[in-house]
Amino acid sequence: MKNTSDKKNKKQAKVKSFKGPGLRSQNLPQPGHRRHKWRNIRWAVLLFFNFLFFASFFFDIQILEGTLSGSRLLGFHLIDPLAAFQVILASKIIMVNLIIGVVTIFLIYLLFGGRSFCSWICPYHWLAELGEKIHQHLKKKKIIKNHTFDRKIRYYFYGFFLAMALITGYTIFETINPVAIISRFIVYGPSLMLIWVMALLIFEILYSRRAWCRYFCPVGVSYQLIGLVSPLRIKWDKEKCSNCKRCQSVCMVPHVLTDSVNRGATEYINASLCTRCGLCVDICDDEALGYGLKYLDKLI
Amino acid sequence: MTEKQSKTAISRRTFLKTSTLVVTGTAVAYGAVSVPLLRRDRLLLRPPGALDEDIFLASCIKCGQCLQVCPPQVINLAGISQGFGVGTPYIIPREGGCILCSGLPCVLACPTGALAHDLSLGKDAEMGLAVISNPDTCLSVLGVNDLIYRLENFQKKKTSSSDQTELKDILSSLIKRLTEDEKKVWQHKFSLPEISDKTLLEILKQLETSDLEWIINFAGSSSQAQKACQVCLSECPIKDEKPIVFIYRTHPDTGQKYVWPSVRKTCVGCGVCEEKCPTPVASVKITPRLSWSEKQAGNQTRKDKLT
Repeated sequence: MKNTSDKKNKKQAKVKSFKGPGLRSQNLPQPGHRRHKWRNIRWAVLLFFNFLFFASFFFDIQILEGTLSGSRLLGFHLIDPLAAFQVILASKIIMVNLIIGVVTIFLIYLLFGGRSFCSWICPYHWLAELGEKIHQHLKKKKIIKNHTFDRKIRYYFYGFFLAMALITGYTIFETINPVAIISRFIVYGPSLMLIWVMALLIFEILYSRRAWCRYFCPVGVSYQLIGLVSPLRIKWDKEKCSNCKRCQSVCMVPHVLTDSVNRGATEYINASLCTRCGLCVDICDDEALGYGLKYLDKLI
Repeated sequence: MTEKQSKTAISRRTFLKTSTLVVTGTAVAYGAVSVPLLRRDRLLLRPPGALDEDIFLASCIKCGQCLQVCPPQVINLAGISQGFGVGTPYIIPREGGCILCSGLPCVLACPTGALAHDLSLGKDAEMGLAVISNPDTCLSVLGVNDLIYRLENFQKKKTSSSDQTELKDILSSLIKRLTEDEKKVWQHKFSLPEISDKTLLEILKQLETSDLEWIINFAGSSSQAQKACQVCLSECPIKDEKPIVFIYRTHPDTGQKYVWPSVRKTCVGCGVCEEKCPTPVASVKITPRLSWSEKQAGNQTRKDKLT
């Protein structure tokens, strides 16, 4: 710790730090532990749902029609909350369908853990995950350096674009929303806006690891709010953890694990930024991390 | 571990600076690029039921569900080149007009009401109005039959491997208009038991260059030749209240009599006439969002800015 600043030392001294039993050697995973179990399941789910969007138009299979901004699941409206709020603010009209769509989204993600939208559904997240691999490879070879931004920018963006919708009377963010652009690309074919998405991806690969999802994307903020109350969370087992902290090296938002892994304070990963992607569950050879239901685990 | 932490510590010193730059940079760049570029002076033809352009742009969530349910698949999603409103639906009438299908599925599919749900009948839509934009080329003004015009054009540009679908389309329309007596002549000519869409492929198969000339000559001397083009009316999806009527007019200078296709109030601007117009550049064009009262006031080529 000699290289870190004094400020940091002080801050860490205040925090009651947690040291695991450290019994387990790094090279001995729990028997039967599969390193890519949840990632593979998650990718399959993500690709499946995006295929459903694609199939709704291409094969006219009407299960999940529309795009990620607004769609219908077996006829029920689903509307991305940020897009819905923008439309309401821009048009100054409250449409019942929008409210229904947002409430349905709320109920669905209440069951499945808020920002799980990002890692389990969002096609940009998937592309960014592939980009992250390239980024990590280049970083390992010391070709590039990672740069970080303020994580709060996402909230500023959320407020900024909602305000812009109200002022300009136009859903400005929806024209540059990479999630919607990719979703439209999947269903209706390419558009020039894909250049912007490519630029974002290149920025992430060369300059800042997972920059869009990590610091900027306001779409996830809505889901984050749902995640605050959703019981589905990553559960951390104090007894099993050997405190290797590899979970934090794979996590897109590593600070969400701090309360548990570093301080030993909470059993569940409570921070709303957690996307429930399960990368930490996969990497944990101690099997100290897993999916759990806060409030409900004990009842069951 | 220590190395890693020191790295982040260094870069965090710059994060405030960089992040502020990114936020302001994005906002300024976006505003600067978008506003002048995206406010277009020409309106797009929107699907039926579309609210006024400004409120439509505000309400459309760009989900594309209208496009998904459109039976003739004529709705497109706007890109950057269409200006303000990336991802909003629009129709290119020349490539395919709205057929005002029953139930208006696009309106029902719209989750935001940008296509207003109170529209239930295609004939009540107010998408725009048809305007005879090129009277000089309009076949009904010229008194030319559309099928003969198309046949002659087909023959002119005909190469060895000419477009069979175009010819098939022309012949199919021609056969429908033949009288019983004329059909008998065709039966004899092509030695077929009957002349209908079913035997059309047979005719196409045995058709040679000389036969094409025969057909043109036949059509030219038949009852067809007397009838000037009325494609815009015959293809119009509104059947009971004719949106286009053909009236006789006298040229003020020459005193010559001619037929003028007059667009009436019942036109909703669906664009089928523009799609089907047989001239190389459509002689009739849709002016999106032009209302009847505006047209009465003499404003036929609305190009005013959106505000």
